[in-house]
Amino acid sequence: MIAQEQKPMEEILGYLEGKQKVVVMGCGGCATFYHTGDKKAVGEMAEKLRKEGKDVFKIVLPFSFQACDIEKSGVWLEKNREELENRDAVLLMSCGDGVQVVTEYTDEKMSITKPIIPANDALGLVGGGPKKFKETCLSCGMCELGKTAGICPLTSCGKGLMNGPCGGVRVDDKCEIDEEKDCAWVKIYKRMEKLGELDKFIEMRDPHEWSKAKRPRLFEIEEPVGMDMIGAGLGMLTYKLGPKPKLEE
Amino acid sequence: MGDEVYSQMVKELKDGKYVFTGELEPEKAGDVNEPIEMARELVGLVTACNVTDNPQSMAYVSSLAASYQIQKETGMECVYQLRCADRNRMALLSDVLGAGVLGLKNILALAGDHVSLGDTPDAKPVFDLDSTTLIAMIRKVVDEGKDLGGNEIHNPPKLHVGGAAAPGAAYLQAEVAKVKRKINVGAEYLQTQVVYYTDVLDKFFNELGKVDVPILVGIFPARTFGQADFFDKNVAGVDVPPAYLENMKATKAIKDKEKKKEEVDRVNIEFFTGFLEHLKGTPAAGCHMMAVGYPRIIAPLKKVIE
Repeated sequence: MIAQEQKPMEEILGYLEGKQKVVVMGCGGCATFYHTGDKKAVGEMAEKLRKEGKDVFKIVLPFSFQACDIEKSGVWLEKNREELENRDAVLLMSCGDGVQVVTEYTDEKMSITKPIIPANDALGLVGGGPKKFKETCLSCGMCELGKTAGICPLTSCGKGLMNGPCGGVRVDDKCEIDEEKDCAWVKIYKRMEKLGELDKFIEMRDPHEWSKAKRPRLFEIEEPVGMDMIGAGLGMLTYKLGPKPKLEE
Repeated sequence: MGDEVYSQMVKELKDGKYVFTGELEPEKAGDVNEPIEMARELVGLVTACNVTDNPQSMAYVSSLAASYQIQKETGMECVYQLRCADRNRMALLSDVLGAGVLGLKNILALAGDHVSLGDTPDAKPVFDLDSTTLIAMIRKVVDEGKDLGGNEIHNPPKLHVGGAAAPGAAYLQAEVAKVKRKINVGAEYLQTQVVYYTDVLDKFFNELGKVDVPILVGIFPARTFGQADFFDKNVAGVDVPPAYLENMKATKAIKDKEKKKEEVDRVNIEFFTGFLEHLKGTPAAGCHMMAVGYPRIIAPLKKVIE
């Protein structure tokens, strides 16, 4: 999941300066999970903006309807076309992915060009829970976990070293840049020791192939997991809501 | 431009002299003998020479080391090219301070080609700063004696910073806005990417309008057909005219070395005479002659303008 937190209100209000009629749109994906784009968060944001004198219209996406998945979020955009056309800006309570997918869809498929403003800051691909999470994967395009006992040094080592640890490990195996964080390479060592693979630890790992992360990365899947595959209930819901989004196929 | 003058190139630009600059390319080698030889041939013909920094993302001799060595051995003033592709803001600052220590007086601040386009495509691209923020950083270092974090720099370097412009950019309006942004943050001169077409140049100057910064327009007389062809195929934003390419290609068939040289020179002089005559009538403050490894062509081409 993509962890996220809401931006400071001061920054959000700065982007909305001079924009009176605002759509506040949530996200039923990660942003709902992190309470930065669920129904409650959208309601609270709408209230704050109303107190600032804004005229607010809310779009709440149900749980599992992500802003970044246009087949789903597009249903809500199409349903609220009139509001989108008549408003000065959209404040999107999702990660930057959702903001950009919605921007591209409204621009290119709905011919509605409005400022789509981010309400949140994305903090990385994290794992764990239920309360504590840790960034674990860079989505680098060339997974190194097979060489490092299942712990990613590019993400978990402060320096992203492929052959650590560095000389800065603290006495309690913490990282030199943050005493809260474990040294990834000490963890890798201990895990390899348990696995009986210390011979691999001593081997030099080649520099990471950053060419696999040539941005922006684009890809295609042959069989999209469409609305009909998600469940009859959701399918029915979108049927009742009205026009489906204009998709590629 | 600021009021201070630290280099001969900027002095001549401020004096309104028509300035010629050349280009030297350190290569994948443990020495810089070849660019030094080229520089020797260019002394007196050009005011300064750019020294390229990992051009087309090929990992070569450090342009800092090469600039220093060339300037020391030949007396040729260097324009030290510095790109953001390979260094974060700390390394960039260190190299800027180092340039001052080594007596370099001009920096050309560049973003640089993406590392994936060069000979070390698996390298991690840095781009911590971009060309505009690098220009701003250098001006802050030189003018205020401070780094980006506001930390004081003892005895800050005295040097000039310039930026690049691409008249042939596919989306010219955005390119021109970017160039203006560079000027706004303190670029003291501009050197353009190679231009072959006079209408491309005119369009660029028209779109840019009047600016207070001298602009040196880049040309690339090729020493061989291969050079011209490589430029056409691999350098973003540059289209080499097909007729020029054809004429250069025809020189490949000439067996006699001297005759071949003469014909290559003739093709270049014929093509660039028209371009340079046109250049005289534009707001350009000079010409950046990127005749890499081809110093003998500079003198006859200069004659066209002088």
